Amino acid sequence: MIAVEIKNVSYVYSPDTPFRKVALDDISLKINAGKITGLMGHTGSGKSTLVQLFNGLVRPTEGQVLVGGEDIWEDPKKISRFRFKVGLVFQYPEYQLFEETVRRDIAFGPANMGLSDEEIKRRVLESARFCGISEEMLEKSPFDLSGGQKRRVAIAGIMAMEPEVLVLDEPAAGLDPQGREEILGGIRDYQRKKGNTVIIVSHSMEDMARYSDEIVVMNKAKIFMHGTTAEVFDRAEELSDVGLSVPQITELCNKLRERGLDVPHGIYTVADAKAAIMRLLGGKHD
Amino acid sequence: MIKDITLGQFFPGNTVVHKLDPRMKIILTIAYIVSIFLAKNMWSFIAVVASALLLVIVSKISFKTILKSMKPLIFVLAFTTFFNLFWTTGDVLLISFWKINIYLEGVVFSVMMILRITSLLVGTTVLLTYTTSPIMLTDALERLLSPLRLIKLPVHEFSMMMTIALRFIPTLVEETDKIMSAQKARGADFESGSLMRRAKALIPILIPLFISAFRRADDLATAMECRCYRGGDGRTRMTKLKLALRDFGAIILMAAFITGIVFLNLTPCPISM
Ligand SMILES: Nc1ncnc2c1ncn2[C@@H]1O[C@H](COP(=O)(O)OP(=O)(O)O)[C@@H](O)[C@H]1O
Ligand SMILES: [Mg+2]
Repeated sequence: MIAVEIKNVSYVYSPDTPFRKVALDDISLKINAGKITGLMGHTGSGKSTLVQLFNGLVRPTEGQVLVGGEDIWEDPKKISRFRFKVGLVFQYPEYQLFEETVRRDIAFGPANMGLSDEEIKRRVLESARFCGISEEMLEKSPFDLSGGQKRRVAIAGIMAMEPEVLVLDEPAAGLDPQGREEILGGIRDYQRKKGNTVIIVSHSMEDMARYSDEIVVMNKAKIFMHGTTAEVFDRAEELSDVGLSVPQITELCNKLRERGLDVPHGIYTVADAKAAIMRLLGGKHD
Repeated sequence: MIKDITLGQFFPGNTVVHKLDPRMKIILTIAYIVSIFLAKNMWSFIAVVASALLLVIVSKISFKTILKSMKPLIFVLAFTTFFNLFWTTGDVLLISFWKINIYLEGVVFSVMMILRITSLLVGTTVLLTYTTSPIMLTDALERLLSPLRLIKLPVHEFSMMMTIALRFIPTLVEETDKIMSAQKARGADFESGSLMRRAKALIPILIPLFISAFRRADDLATAMECRCYRGGDGRTRMTKLKLALRDFGAIILMAAFITGIVFLNLTPCPISM
């Protein structure tokens, strides 16, 4: 099933001025439902622009955006409906917090949806749990938290809207390894439990190798590659052509294969690599 | 988008007008404003309009840009014309119906007023805002006002504040845009509802915006202190403004222009105010 579909979409910033900039150039894309899709690409390749199309914050200059098979711009007056269907967490979302307590900030989105108090409460608690926010933290002011904690509150604020598609723009940018792990791990747990669609923008190969099922690679306003994580990382040379690398462990496997060892393609986790190498060693010792 | 608002527009370029010393430009602008108000008859008005056109041509600013910048002026022009046309009395009655009398003097006066206001706007924007970067402007202002330090006015501090404010306007506009998008993604609605509701809807934008502005101010202050900024006393400059030959040329031209206006005012002319 297709969660979000983009049909021949182009987007131009500041058209008719000297600062004209084509951010998306006639792209088409289908995001599969119930999966975690990683959206990767160099800075300036158009990732952030693309994700703002998904919930109708940005209207494509040309082309169509379909969510659940519906053209979201068919009736522009009803566009806000799709803001709830597709939840978008912006880059550095910690700067959007404004309420007196963490609890009220997380409840802002659900309250805008017009849900009952009971339902809001349930959603706040649930999304706080996925994001590793303790009960005690819920009563604090968001401005007394650390950067990583604020980020988690902001993500919980979108999760609590329980969107069919959750889109996160560089959710782990600028965090230490443990912070990245907590946030991305929480997002994965949430996806596995709810079975909804998640799109994560990132340029960390290691993170995407660990957390995504499918990967879309963008380059210069175009879709460069789209496939399962194994398929994408198997094309290491093409990736390096557009300034991206493959995960270190994949790199290692490729090097071993170059030296004539029989390492299978499509390895991108340490566990798989270990199994493959053990098998090789075991074969030799026999 | 809110980002499309242009503030203190500056069009970089390489013309004589761009290259003039910004201090000289401020002085020239003041002189030009004075000359516009000196003009009294048709000949001098022709000179004023011609000079404004000449400025636009020399600075290579497109007429389209100039016309666009005049749009907000239409209301002011219509307003003054309305009053000048219907409330000026004189000797030559042109039209008279019901209780309204339009005199020739009123027509002349309105036309001259329109010319005066448009030349004023065109001259000052071309000489100052369109061809001088805001940073250069504040810098020049600081130097022109520096004698006021003698009476203990904090001239340097004011100009530094102005420079910083100008520098951060685009940043804050961009930030407002981002925060608005982020809150819209959370279902915030800024466009519908009563006035009270809309005012309340601004809270999720204003609070993050203020917090980030204070954070930026704090960071900037720290960064400036780390680079040993201690105010204007004893501070030397990287770029020293120096008057070139063209600056003297410009001032002579302006003096000639003002003399010309005065002279034209004195020549007999069929139409004057
Ligand atoms: N608000 C904007 N105004 C003008 N140009 C923009 C704006 N936002 C992004 N761009 C340009 O569009 C291109 C794509 O940007 P973006 O979608 O932010 O890329 P990414 O998220 O992959 O780094 C970049 O070249 C960027 O400079
Ligand atoms: Mg981005």
